[in-house]
Amino acid sequence: MSYIARRLEFFVITVWAALTINFILPRIMPGNPGQAMLVRFHGRVSPQTIKALEVAFGINNNESIFQQYFEYLGNTLRGDFGTSLTFFPAPVGDIVKQGLPWTLGLVGMATIIAFALGTLIGMLSAWRRGGFLDAILPPAFIVISAFPYFWLGLLVLLVFAITLGWFPLGFAYDLSSSINLSWDFAGQVAWHGFLPALTIVITSIGGWILTMRNTMITTLAEDYVKMARAKGLSPVRIMFMYAGRNAILPNLTGFAMSLGFVISGAILVEIVFNYPGVGFTLLQAVHSEDFALMQTLFLLITIAVLVAVLAADFLTAWLDPRTREQA
Amino acid sequence: MRRHRRVGLLATLAALALFGSACGTSSNNNGNQPAIGGTLTIDNESGALWQCDFNPYNGSVNGQSFGVLYEPLVYDNLLNDKKTNWLASDYTWSSDSKTLTFTIRSGVKWTDGQPFSADDVVFSFNLIKQHSELDLQSVWQVLDSVTKDSSGKVVMTFKQSAVPNFYQIAGQTAIVPQHIWSAFKDPVSQVVKDPVGTGPFTMSQCTGQNITFTRNPNYWQTGLPRLQTVTYPAFLDNDPANAFLATGQAQWGGQFIPNIDTYYVARDPQNNKYWFPPINNINIWFNTTIAPFNNKAVRQAIAYSIDRDSVSKKGEYGYEPPGNQTGVLSPTFDSWIDKAQADKYGYKFDPTKAAALLQQAGYTKGSSGIYQDASGKKLSFTIIDIAGYTDWVASVQVIQDNLKQVGIELKAQNLESNAYFDKLFTGNFQLAYGSLDTSPGPTPYYELRNTLHSGTTAPIGQTAAGDYGRYKNPAVDTLFDQFGATTDSAKQHDLIKQVEAIMLEDVPVIPVTEGVAWYQYSTKDFAGWPTPADPYAAPAPWNLPDWEVTLLHVYKKS
Repeated sequence: MSYIARRLEFFVITVWAALTINFILPRIMPGNPGQAMLVRFHGRVSPQTIKALEVAFGINNNESIFQQYFEYLGNTLRGDFGTSLTFFPAPVGDIVKQGLPWTLGLVGMATIIAFALGTLIGMLSAWRRGGFLDAILPPAFIVISAFPYFWLGLLVLLVFAITLGWFPLGFAYDLSSSINLSWDFAGQVAWHGFLPALTIVITSIGGWILTMRNTMITTLAEDYVKMARAKGLSPVRIMFMYAGRNAILPNLTGFAMSLGFVISGAILVEIVFNYPGVGFTLLQAVHSEDFALMQTLFLLITIAVLVAVLAADFLTAWLDPRTREQA
Repeated sequence: MRRHRRVGLLATLAALALFGSACGTSSNNNGNQPAIGGTLTIDNESGALWQCDFNPYNGSVNGQSFGVLYEPLVYDNLLNDKKTNWLASDYTWSSDSKTLTFTIRSGVKWTDGQPFSADDVVFSFNLIKQHSELDLQSVWQVLDSVTKDSSGKVVMTFKQSAVPNFYQIAGQTAIVPQHIWSAFKDPVSQVVKDPVGTGPFTMSQCTGQNITFTRNPNYWQTGLPRLQTVTYPAFLDNDPANAFLATGQAQWGGQFIPNIDTYYVARDPQNNKYWFPPINNINIWFNTTIAPFNNKAVRQAIAYSIDRDSVSKKGEYGYEPPGNQTGVLSPTFDSWIDKAQADKYGYKFDPTKAAALLQQAGYTKGSSGIYQDASGKKLSFTIIDIAGYTDWVASVQVIQDNLKQVGIELKAQNLESNAYFDKLFTGNFQLAYGSLDTSPGPTPYYELRNTLHSGTTAPIGQTAAGDYGRYKNPAVDTLFDQFGATTDSAKQHDLIKQVEAIMLEDVPVIPVTEGVAWYQYSTKDFAGWPTPADPYAAPAPWNLPDWEVTLLHVYKKS
């Protein structure tokens, strides 16, 4: 129990630190959003108007940095993320809410599939070391994962969407549809998401395979595996419950991290497949020095990573009794 | 490369603004009229998801509403200044060109069924007066008042004669319904989810990735539009947008497509077509406040050192034609060009002439092959441009090469766009490559005035709305002011010719190439497109409000 309490305590402190850094970072960036906004208005608006807008946005008010800081903390806790400059007058919350589900769905799903498949392949190829599976899949995927994503994405798009026409050229669902809960809509989402998810899976699966295979090989040499074999347990049971369960631990932490980073989206995926996610939004926010939007997205990323790591800690504690024994 | 629409926008949550729109077919279909129907898809890289905000006074989202949803008083064709009465059925200028009176069209209805009236016009103009952030065209810099007179006409008075401002006032200002907009507490930050306009379409569905416009069956131009549905997908980047167009999933493009003949036309040579009419100049701007650019001879010498044809071919794939030193777009405004005068100067790549000019001005060629002044200071400059505009970067490389042949050293500084515009607007540069950032107009006056009139500039360090080079010439200011006071076309042509003379002699900027309206169209299923033979509207989907006019002409082939 104390293990969990310690993890939670650590979690709270890191969140606070993240919030604070998140507040400071954009403010030490060169340039200022006022200039960026002037550019946005193409010099058509008078400097007085810009001043007025700046005050309205709260980017050029007379408050001290500490006042701003506490106001920011309060607003964040209340879930009020302010108004986006880039997408003025839309509230930041709305913008994030619009893109986030698609990013989570696509990248999240692809990450889970890549992890599950990669771990399984890694396990099997270590189990049958030198076998047919081991000779083909790990090297193939490791080579593919070295390809630039952009190139692979465009290639897949060219072959399957433009030349063969099997899949749509982009978007998350049919243009004529609106978001609704129906099998038809779910089908559209799956159909539109197939190519982007496929490219994410085949480019990221290599890493999972490699780590899992290598840890698995070490684990297979452990005494308790030999013991299990000697007891005459079924190979499947040994593979999953004895070797696999232990070999997966390092991969699990990596998985938690990458789940956290899912939220930052995959900017390239979104550009190549014209997918309405949150990654491209983040890029735009950084370009136009949109503090409010940037802060919110960075915050979400940080918190997602922290939560995922926390979850991984709990999971490790459950899978590996040794961690519970410490201290 | 991303150009001409630096839109920065995004969609909000996928609130589906379901807007009642009966899809009835119109009753007056006579035999010759094409039937109503079809779904046309627009292809125009927006660089962001749709924000689903249909506020025509918000510069980052008005591209999805001004025209098809909200209309202007008069449609003024950007390509030829042909004016068509729109929400106004008539207008007259007073003799001193300081009062403009509009007769408002009767029988027009808002899409919610309420009647449209002169009050809406007065309301709209006073709304953007109260909230200057909404005054995208700065019309209140010249307007003095907008009121309704006893006969129900709308009377506008001006602080000065403002004939050319007609384009911004009548042609570029959207009219919104008073009965809806008067309830908005803060129109600046108002997100308009359910637009009510007078336009030929209603917005029937908006998601982050697509907007659907549906025919307005009660549109005041009876029988129009002939398209039932228009869909407008949001494209984050050029590549997916180009692929969508090339595969025939969209029929109307406003895209820059490299190798358009093989990538687009060759896929369906019968039907896939394009037309790129020039709409603005891409210039080399001199910072005329610093030496040696305050010296006319140096400016002229540089103008003789640029091979515009080669910039156009190598830098712009030949899609953007070479510019000419009069600053008047060709062929768009050919009738305004003083050919005789331009020929007399004959600005073309002429290293001998450039060298002669430099030598006359006291420059000598140093050992490095670069000209230097008496004190030994080299003619070596930095030119700023935008790193993301790959065609501009390539163009600047050609110019660098040209100047080097003459003996002038040019260093390119490729900047991120925010930094570039900051330097450009505040005059913090030696040379700048780029176009004017204000919207062009239907005669050469608009671009030339914003390029040269000292009233549009600002001291170095402050943001200038135009004249980034800080060029000051009272003679040219007077010419523009005289233009502003006359409605006589012959006199206007004469004044522009005098401005051209100054452009040729003084070389305040060097027009290098001409920016174009990117426009692709497929005649497979749809007809009625604007063409060079019938330029009834500026043809790109991002030409506002011209896209409305295009959508009124285009119909589905039976």
